[in-house]
Amino acid sequence: MVETTGPEKNYGSQFGISKLCAVIILAIFVISLPASAQEYRSGWDIVEGGTSSDLFSVQAQDDEIWAFGENGTIIMSTDGGLNWQNYESSISSNLSISDSGFGAFIAAGTDGTVIIKSDSTSPWREISVEVGDGFISGISLTGNSTAVAVGNNGNIWTYDVQTWSNISVGEGDLLDVSFLDSDKGIAVGELGTILFSDDGGGSWDYRDAPTEASNSRIIDVEFFSDIRAYAITDNGEVLKSSRELTTAVGFLWNMQYFESEGGSSNLGVELTSIEIATTNKFLLSGADGYLSMSKDGGNIVNRQIIPVGNSTSFNDIAMIDGFNGVAVGSSGSLLLTERSGEDEQIGFEVMDFSEFGNFVDYSKGMLIDGLFATMNIVIFGIFLGFFLGISLSMMKTSPTTLKEIAQKRSPALIRIFGIVFLVIGIVLLRHLMPIFENLGLDGWEYIYAPIGIINPDGITGDLQFENFLFLILGVSLSLLGMLLISGDGTYKKSTYALGGREINWNPWGVRPLNFIATIYTDIFRNTPLIVQFLFIHFGVQIGALIGDPGAEMLEGSNGLITSFLRDDILSNRACVSAIFALGLNSGAYQCETIRGAISAIPSGQMEAGRSIGLNYMQTMRLIIMPQAIRICIPPMGNEMVNLVLNSSLAMVIGYSELTRKAKLINAVTFQVFWSYGMVLISYFIVTWTLALFLRYLENKTRIPGLGISGGN
Amino acid sequence: MSRVLSIKDMHKTYAGGVHAVRGVSFDVKEGESVAIIGSSGSGKSTVLRCINRLIEPTEGEVRLRGDLINTPNTDINDVRSRIGMVFQSFELFAHLRVIDNVTLGLRYVKGMSKKEAEREALEVLEKVDMLDRKDAFPGNLSGGQKQRVAIARALAMKPEVMLFDEPTSALDPELIGSVLKTIRGLADDGMTMVVVTHEISFARDVADRVIYMDQGIIAETGASSIIESPKTERLKRFLSSITEDD
Repeated sequence: MVETTGPEKNYGSQFGISKLCAVIILAIFVISLPASAQEYRSGWDIVEGGTSSDLFSVQAQDDEIWAFGENGTIIMSTDGGLNWQNYESSISSNLSISDSGFGAFIAAGTDGTVIIKSDSTSPWREISVEVGDGFISGISLTGNSTAVAVGNNGNIWTYDVQTWSNISVGEGDLLDVSFLDSDKGIAVGELGTILFSDDGGGSWDYRDAPTEASNSRIIDVEFFSDIRAYAITDNGEVLKSSRELTTAVGFLWNMQYFESEGGSSNLGVELTSIEIATTNKFLLSGADGYLSMSKDGGNIVNRQIIPVGNSTSFNDIAMIDGFNGVAVGSSGSLLLTERSGEDEQIGFEVMDFSEFGNFVDYSKGMLIDGLFATMNIVIFGIFLGFFLGISLSMMKTSPTTLKEIAQKRSPALIRIFGIVFLVIGIVLLRHLMPIFENLGLDGWEYIYAPIGIINPDGITGDLQFENFLFLILGVSLSLLGMLLISGDGTYKKSTYALGGREINWNPWGVRPLNFIATIYTDIFRNTPLIVQFLFIHFGVQIGALIGDPGAEMLEGSNGLITSFLRDDILSNRACVSAIFALGLNSGAYQCETIRGAISAIPSGQMEAGRSIGLNYMQTMRLIIMPQAIRICIPPMGNEMVNLVLNSSLAMVIGYSELTRKAKLINAVTFQVFWSYGMVLISYFIVTWTLALFLRYLENKTRIPGLGISGGN
Repeated sequence: MSRVLSIKDMHKTYAGGVHAVRGVSFDVKEGESVAIIGSSGSGKSTVLRCINRLIEPTEGEVRLRGDLINTPNTDINDVRSRIGMVFQSFELFAHLRVIDNVTLGLRYVKGMSKKEAEREALEVLEKVDMLDRKDAFPGNLSGGQKQRVAIARALAMKPEVMLFDEPTSALDPELIGSVLKTIRGLADDGMTMVVVTHEISFARDVADRVIYMDQGIIAETGASSIIESPKTERLKRFLSSITEDD
């Protein structure tokens, strides 16, 4: 009876703990779910313009904003676009194009109607140009009473001293023109035409469009500054010209490829205009309710949410400054933004960080991200540390001494080995001599020599780890060689009398594997972890040494695990460094923990294993280790919890784990107590779950009838 | 009868300088059971451990079927698999079930398959009367049961000689009987064995020959009858001290 109920009872309690773990994990997921479902609202607001006519064009300059539309509609605002008033004009044509600059505004219709307003006090006056059967499709001011217009069949009209003069530069229709100042201007047109003038429009030179756009209709161009000009085509392409070394803007044009469109050069929408806010920030308008913005010169173009229906066709955008702007479109649509039209996270604007609920809403998503980042380095760190710990502890407990190794060979052979080792050691040390001399060190400064020989040329040179290896090998092989040569076949310890005391000198008792492992653990246990983080990340740059080649090796594989390894672990240099710093450090401590557990196994177990004929490694693997690991689960739990907590140091190398996220949250909200308090709770949940799991593991692996335990 | 074990002039000095064994020589013939008796610290356990080199003898020769086995070049694992050893404190592998304790050597030293090894193991477990507890963990066994499993573990390797290192010293008096019965059964089956023991009656009844050790040397040796009629004063004193204890 006892035997049948015993195990069941045991199983029941274990199941209880695993159930608890499952519930906790589930709870964490449930908590994290709302964080991923973020809602946004449009960054544009509708304003009433007082007209239902289509608006084609808009210009902003100083305090004035003017918008132009069908049948001569003109409206204006002097308060940044909030209130608009109608301007009665005698014009009845559609005013489809406009420009501003030099304190003046100009607007035009395709039929040649042109009106100009030279400064803020003067009224609009008509300066229409005769275009016959043709049309004008672009106009740009070159001064407060001079302008250049472009139109059909390569026609270019320049307005100066109250008169229009006309030249023609080719066959194709020109579609837009933009002047940076009174001299430099760019005109664009169909079939990829790009023209450049640096004499105020008197003469024009052809420039090459990118081959991809050689058949496109380039409909809008903006000559923004000495270093940047943009143009768009009506089928959704953006062309960019930058100053490159000695080449001025406007000579070389490149297609913009959009990362946000999977590397395509086509946005897949019908564009109507481009408006440049800053060198790298521009907004695009288009048909079917299209408004978008890029903050990085076009790599990422984000389509924006609009507060009106998608049937609205947006015709033009005018930016008052880097953030405030107006967009106009069909049926008198008039939108205003204070944030370049960027979508707003709902509640962001009204979010008041002095209210705890709002604060938590804002920060939980970042904390969850940080938590996952922490988990990444912790899990890989634990694996690396455990592997190192097991290997090092086996090396540390290995009983093989030099004497045992030497005794199995004849003394003559040992002497020959000694000579060979000594020669190799001396050769290696001689190789290092010039490097040492070049370091220019004196006296005690030589304690820093190991760092010097690894990187003799400093930041401009490569790391030469082989030098360090040569140093260690050179010194130890020389010493070992001398020892082996001195061997007399008995390999006994020698005793010397020194100052009346006996000194035992027993180099033959040295255990080589133990020696190597001791050097490793001594280095890692006697230096601070934070310095190891900094040294491994910035000094060794292990991300470049191991992470990058690793990521390259996994290039192109699509497996769930391999692509995770490549994209989330190996490509992130800080992540690789953090894993190695944590793993190498933890390995040194885990080694001592496991070594302690190994020493706790009665020596009789080793004797029993050996007595049935198992060799040393088999006995370690089959008998000692399985029992030692069980013993060291509680202290290893300590080690792992320490590792989780130590992972917070990864913030010093810029890895955005939990603690760093707290710092960022604090930087936004200024809620010091809440920010760091939430992180405390997050860490507690992680380590506590880990502790529960280890407790479960301890129960699960307990050997029936062995050891004193507080539990069942 | 051929000599299975032959020990000649064995010395052992421990690292601390204790000279535990000072020139011990004896032979063990095929099928013979030899009991080594003596007070604590007389070096009898050291002699036993030096035979399968769990302790390295400082000087002297140990031969197994005529082959010198205490040289650096001896395949010690092979030698040990031919010599079974039973420890005072059982030394069962606590994390393994009884059956796995017994099959471990068969699988990893003799290279048997798991199935084959289990068949052999069941046989020896039956011999020591532990078949019904084959799936128990050592922690759930009594001392006597543990020692019988330990004997089975050593027996499974089909050793040429068995070494018992005070097999009953750690047992409660009422459990000693079952272990002694098992060992007696082995002796009756003709197993060659060396038993270091405090059980004078066992030495007298089972052993073909008794070796009395004192201060690292063999003080007296002979047929089991020497227990009834000791020749030396030292053995006389030792025997009387033991009977007084009882």
